[in-house]
Amino acid sequence: MSRTHIRYLTAFLLLITGTLLVFCGNLFVGSTDIDFSDVMHLLFLGEGDRTAADILWKIRIPRALAAMLLGGALALSGYLLQTFFHNPIAGPFVLGVSSGAKLTVAIAMIFAFGQPGAVGSAYMILAALIGSMLSLGLVLLVSRKVKRMSMLVVCGVMIGYICSAVTDFMVTFADDSDIVNLHDWSLGTFSGTSMENVTVIAAVTGFGLLGTILIAKPIGAYMLGENYAQNMGVNIRLLRTALIVLSGLLSACVTAFAGPVSFVGIAVPHIVRTIFRTSKPLIMIPACFLGGSIFCMVCDMIARTVFAPTELSISTVTAIFGAPVVILILIRRKKGEF
Amino acid sequence: MDKIMLSADALYVGYGKKTVVGNICFEICPGEILTLIGPNGAGKSTILKTLAGYLKKLGGSIVIDRRSIESITEKERSKKLSVVLTERIRPEMMTCRDVVESGRYPYTGHFGILSEADRECVRSAMETVEMLDFAEADFGAVSDGQRQRVMLARAICQEPEILILDEPTSYLDIHHKIVFLEILRRLAREKQIAVIVSMHELDFAEKISDYTLCVKDGRITCAGMPEEIFTAENLMELYEIPVQLYKKYFG
Repeated sequence: MSRTHIRYLTAFLLLITGTLLVFCGNLFVGSTDIDFSDVMHLLFLGEGDRTAADILWKIRIPRALAAMLLGGALALSGYLLQTFFHNPIAGPFVLGVSSGAKLTVAIAMIFAFGQPGAVGSAYMILAALIGSMLSLGLVLLVSRKVKRMSMLVVCGVMIGYICSAVTDFMVTFADDSDIVNLHDWSLGTFSGTSMENVTVIAAVTGFGLLGTILIAKPIGAYMLGENYAQNMGVNIRLLRTALIVLSGLLSACVTAFAGPVSFVGIAVPHIVRTIFRTSKPLIMIPACFLGGSIFCMVCDMIARTVFAPTELSISTVTAIFGAPVVILILIRRKKGEF
Repeated sequence: MDKIMLSADALYVGYGKKTVVGNICFEICPGEILTLIGPNGAGKSTILKTLAGYLKKLGGSIVIDRRSIESITEKERSKKLSVVLTERIRPEMMTCRDVVESGRYPYTGHFGILSEADRECVRSAMETVEMLDFAEADFGAVSDGQRQRVMLARAICQEPEILILDEPTSYLDIHHKIVFLEILRRLAREKQIAVIVSMHELDFAEKISDYTLCVKDGRITCAGMPEEIFTAENLMELYEIPVQLYKKYFG
């Protein structure tokens, strides 16, 4: 086995153990004390305190699963967008895709369905998908006019601001009962996820992950630029569509259930690439997913424990860890490339 | 007589409806090098892009291996024709070997996993371009000349019958220009690849060409063997160099 293979294997083992450890950690830690043996009893023997069981099965496990799956989805969505734009700081949040989805989900919640709790998962995802596709379409239109990558990101951020402003506007005028839920959600949080939600999240995210793995080969060719990829026989139009639809779907799923979550999509692929020292899509895709899972679960743990019982919004925490990574990327890049 | 690998007849190339170069006729056999020379903006790249399938031809015909270019699918073409382009790629965290391996794309399965035979092909391509020692080096960290040789190795891995290069030696210093062209010359002969290349270095073009096309003012102003093309009168006219300046610099 060569040194690179050992590196890949070690890194994957680390990521998998990390995911498991952080997941378990999320089950023990919280405002109610449930210690290790209690959790083990509840999980494997099904016996123990009723309240503890409820907290574990109805709150902590779904929430941890949501953070795990949605974190992976976000990182993957970012990876796909970075591939599409050949730009390391592209991601669903900076390009305004998350905010677009947030806007349409807010509209769907307020006007069509009344109470957020009553809205079906599928409708939420559909609304979010429409929103993310609309803002992606807008970014694509801009990208045909603006060739500079930094300008593209600035445009994305502006689109994001516009969508957020409209969302805030609507939240202000929504019914009182809606506001509490909407307000939390519009800042981003994994709380309030039910086991039913998790099933839907798992299905959509699984589909996105599988679809991405299936196009790993053309993604690899596309990294050398469209012209070389085309010469190797890649159907460019089909690939570009697949990249956009998959990344839109993944980030729509995140926004529908957890609201906009910042910087995971940029930071995680970059960190993962640095750990593995490769860009091979077949390595990057699963690694990004696992990395995103760990990142979001850790951030969620911090969000709900550090100032307990007050919860931080998830984006507050992800931004603290994620934004510096973006600055690091910008510094590392040579001058004149943006 | 050798078989003809690629031929163009009354070919018109350009963008949209606008013709850039018209009435192009030539043919090239396996193992030959055809060079395109002429001033900047004359349309050399447009011709190459059309031959490589990036642009639709505006008129005339292109025949590759006795088949018209329209009847060849993208997948078939990828095994027949490969390119080295002027654009500089800067993939992140890819070794030189990774870049060369991508040339095996048309031959690998759905997930693009390389077989032992593919790896051997990559190794031998890197050996041909004398870059085997740099296989594990980061593509962004090697010199321009080495990078260009890696791109050539990548193109070889597609096992092409036709190789199209757009100004492959432009950024290179004189040492790397010579090494690159020497490899190209040997490659064409040994692997019987038909090579079509645009260049600005007239002295080198003269040495490696079997046949040369001069592109200027929207047409092929002259075509022929290097000894017919690379004459003082011809070059002065092609590049519009005044006699006294030509004498001063090329003497």
